[in-house]
Amino acid sequence: MGNVGLQLLWYFLHILLSIWHSILAIRCFIESCFITCGVLEKYKSLNIAKLRYLAIVIESEDAHQTSKVVKLLQWLDSIGVKNVCLYDMNGVLKKSKEAIFGKLKNAKPIEEVNEAVTLHVPEHMTLEFVSYADGKEAMVKAANFIFVENLKRQNFGGEIDGQVISEPLLNEALKVVGCKGPEPDLLLVYGPVRSHLGFPAWRIRYTEIVHMGSLNFLRYGSLIKAIYDFTKVHQNYGT
Amino acid sequence: MFSLRLPIPIENTLITPPPKSNNNNTYNSSLCAHSYSSYSHSQTNRFLTVRNVALQKNGNSVGDSKDTMMQPFPEELNAEPLPRHVAVIMDGNGRWAKMRNLMPSAGHQAGAEALKEMVRLCASWGIKVLTVFAFSTDNWVRPKVEVDFLMSLFEKTINSEIDVFIREGIRISVIGDASKLPSSLIRMIKYAEERTKENSRLQLIVAVSYSGKYDVVQACRSVAKKVKDGILDLEEINEGIIEQELETNCTEFPNPDLLIRTSGELRVSNFLLWQLAYTELYFDGALWPDFGKEEFVEALSSFQQRKRRFGGR
Repeated sequence: MGNVGLQLLWYFLHILLSIWHSILAIRCFIESCFITCGVLEKYKSLNIAKLRYLAIVIESEDAHQTSKVVKLLQWLDSIGVKNVCLYDMNGVLKKSKEAIFGKLKNAKPIEEVNEAVTLHVPEHMTLEFVSYADGKEAMVKAANFIFVENLKRQNFGGEIDGQVISEPLLNEALKVVGCKGPEPDLLLVYGPVRSHLGFPAWRIRYTEIVHMGSLNFLRYGSLIKAIYDFTKVHQNYGT
Repeated sequence: MFSLRLPIPIENTLITPPPKSNNNNTYNSSLCAHSYSSYSHSQTNRFLTVRNVALQKNGNSVGDSKDTMMQPFPEELNAEPLPRHVAVIMDGNGRWAKMRNLMPSAGHQAGAEALKEMVRLCASWGIKVLTVFAFSTDNWVRPKVEVDFLMSLFEKTINSEIDVFIREGIRISVIGDASKLPSSLIRMIKYAEERTKENSRLQLIVAVSYSGKYDVVQACRSVAKKVKDGILDLEEINEGIIEQELETNCTEFPNPDLLIRTSGELRVSNFLLWQLAYTELYFDGALWPDFGKEEFVEALSSFQQRKRRFGGR
């Protein structure tokens, strides 16, 4: 009898906690709706200047939903976020590039932007499309590029000086092999797993990472909140 | 945060974990960022055997006696899947001390105690590798007094725990750029690594003076040396070759399954950049000295509820 009572108490406590967390989830949903409707004052003006480069990771299965991706980009454009990197592991977004550019009026690919991406006048969006191949594989290509260049310089000895490899050199080599995007300030992950799914590791040293849930639950209010919270972050950078 | 799973066995309900002294500000900072339920309502019965009850007070070593090492497996968790490799960014010592009007050194001391508890839990629950971010290359710019204290704390902690590690089967490895470390600490690290290298219950990897980018750079340098020495051809260089040269090559499971960062910050701060491609990222609001068993169970529970597809279907 005592054990049954304890079991019931245990169930009751778990149900209470479950209800509490459901309430929190509903609160988030309602807050998102209020933000979308413009009810909450503090979200009306965002200090977008702090967000120079935004990266979005989308699970490859969800990345086929081009209309949702376009909707997200249109929201970002309207907010004033002009420099966006889109990533999915399998390169689905790269294949949808034409369709995406076709639906966005003033977007250009990063390859066509000559000056430093983060400095350009924000009249148009700059989009970068990356996949897993631009992460670790690109790093291997960059390292190989350095090795080969080093070999060419050592004409007579034919030796490679490993010590010449440094972070700045790898940065330059990555640009040569076609990975010219900067380090994003904020990375939004749309998918069921809280992982960046292989986004180029070299670029996310100090990037804020926010998990947004599945692309199927895309909400304008959640996007605004994530960006707003980012603008309030203070980084010490180790100090 | 509990995960609701019914029915719940009651064998462990009479066992009360030791009270936590300061644990009022734990929250899951990603809770509002996702809209789907994080609870599973499994009907699977879980009858986990209570192995032992460890009643540890703060300030004790990882295992004062053979019996106190074991912590009972929590009933909120399933036996599978558990992460094989857990990485932790131990953030928040300074803020913890500031909130209590204490010197930063007090925060780091409290952080060391939290780390001992974490090691105890991982060893008890079958996690094979625990990697902790103790000191970043970016941290060298901190006041010299604080840096010197931290170096001294690392040395004292390793020294005080080494016998316990040997007894409990814990292997310690240290990664990072050792060139800036005090020579006494380097000697202590080498001694501890040598004495514990045969242990296999849990591998504790401590990242000191570590930078994820520098890890990749030094891996590339190692590869270049192998090419120079004729061990490798340029054509053979691929991801796997570089991965073998990263500092995490000291373990069988170099890529963390779960990364926990405390204090509510949502970034990896140059930690294990290459290795985190598929790692579940868990950001907890608790400051590191307050991160204990309950918070760890929450993180593991969250890990168990994710569908990790590693890019497949």
